[in-house]
Amino acid sequence: MRAMRMFRGVVLCVMGTVLTVGAAGPEAPDVHGTARAGGHPSADVVVWLDAPNAPAGLQRGKVVLDQRNITFTPHVLAVRVGTLVDFPNDDRVLHNVFSFRDGKVFDLGLYPVGTRKQVKFDKPGLSRIFCNIHPNMAAYVMAVDSPYFAVSVDDGTFTIESVPAGTYTYHAWRAGDTTLATGTFTNGPDTRLVVEWPQAK
Amino acid sequence: MAASEVTRRLVATFVLYVTLSSAAHAQSITTEAAVTGGVSTDGDPGALRAVATQLRAFGDITSGVRFFVEGAWAKTSQDESDAFGAAYPYTDKFQIIESYAERIFRPRRGLVGIRGGRFRPPFGISNGSDYAYSGFTRAPLIRYDGYFALSNNFLEQGADVVVGVPRLTVEASLGYPADVGTAVRPSGLDTVLHVQGSQGPFIVGVSHIRTLPYQAGSFIHGNTLFTGVDARWMYAGVQLRSEWITGQSFDGVSTKGWYVDGSVHRLAMGPITAVARIEQLDYDTPATAFEMHARRQTIGARVRLFDGLSVQTNLMHHTGRLAAYHEGALDLSVTYSVRHDFNHH
Repeated sequence: MRAMRMFRGVVLCVMGTVLTVGAAGPEAPDVHGTARAGGHPSADVVVWLDAPNAPAGLQRGKVVLDQRNITFTPHVLAVRVGTLVDFPNDDRVLHNVFSFRDGKVFDLGLYPVGTRKQVKFDKPGLSRIFCNIHPNMAAYVMAVDSPYFAVSVDDGTFTIESVPAGTYTYHAWRAGDTTLATGTFTNGPDTRLVVEWPQAK
Repeated sequence: MAASEVTRRLVATFVLYVTLSSAAHAQSITTEAAVTGGVSTDGDPGALRAVATQLRAFGDITSGVRFFVEGAWAKTSQDESDAFGAAYPYTDKFQIIESYAERIFRPRRGLVGIRGGRFRPPFGISNGSDYAYSGFTRAPLIRYDGYFALSNNFLEQGADVVVGVPRLTVEASLGYPADVGTAVRPSGLDTVLHVQGSQGPFIVGVSHIRTLPYQAGSFIHGNTLFTGVDARWMYAGVQLRSEWITGQSFDGVSTKGWYVDGSVHRLAMGPITAVARIEQLDYDTPATAFEMHARRQTIGARVRLFDGLSVQTNLMHHTGRLAAYHEGALDLSVTYSVRHDFNHH
């Protein structure tokens, strides 16, 4: 009986190993980089790589632009075109989220605490998000037609995950700047993508 | 020391503790500062001038507790008018307006919120962000100090609980008055109840408050009791709001009043938000000489000049006896506000 259990365990272990190796395949490396403006690290910069031949697919996991403490969190959100974004009201007051100017145009109406609404960002571009009741609330959603994108954090660094080796055209956007930073980048083992604007805002 | 005073100090200490803890360990803190300068033709003699400043800090604590602290200072050159009587007192001294900690729980599909500290009574449309210079330079008559109704500057010090599901909530608060305006209620236990439901773009609430009169005098007896209905609708940049209240400031008198206001902000209007309000207040007493019947109409606009700087202008007309010098007035104010988010990941 004990021998049977051991045999079964060994078989399961071997099968598990085979399945894991088979699923992994060649891993695409991450792209690490830094966004700078006027010589200083720049947070909330959206960086993306053109990838017209990238496989179609939706962003994994739930994508959320939260309303909390009379603030949109995060302030800058990047999504792949076609992504459904949740707009929960996690505050203690009512909110009315809207985007009138460009990008995705919508008005979610007035909705109470504890409820959520969703918006599908179905075309590329920048949407400026506001609340009709609280003029100081503002956020940006940048929808990009690529699976390879990231938003820089406080120290200006960003990581674009699982980018196949190759040469790409990159674009970068930051709030308050009308021009995109654009260039080419070759993804290699020791390369680092540096996005730079000559002047701070 | 009276029991109410002890309770008040305990609550204040709790809030201070939570606030300081928040500052030290918060996941995120937002700070805001706003300065408003205003001038109105509703002065006598000459123009009425006002200046106001608000400082706010709010955010999340790691454990899920949120805090909100707001202080304000404001001064007006002539305090007989209600010009610029928004959600802050014009007392020429810096005062803590709201300071509370709260926690929201989400049991299954339910909603439970607990708040402790000093906060605006949850009667009707009561949040400070609904009133403070959001396009109107004056509070509605039924929300103004001194008009025998409810003041925007009434504050409760105590506890507030909201329970329900997102589409239907019941909120109750129990506390002592901690008023900061010219209408200051004596110490005593207050109760406020607010039931709110929403369907589509409509949000409707019913409120009741029981408190003590802010008026002083040998003829003042009984409680201040008001019941109100509030409604809101908003879509595509158009917002409509209304409150209707009825009740008494003290025994033997009655106050009824309502307002309907609207704001419109469409893409084609650029930085301009247009606002309008109509309202009525009726205060009845056994002695008709003291009665107050007034109607007021206001149109105006809020113009966002650039980030943080906005101009508001209101043209007001009223009939009836009120704390104003003229039947019509033009108010103009400029507000500059800055905001900073501190996030700790």
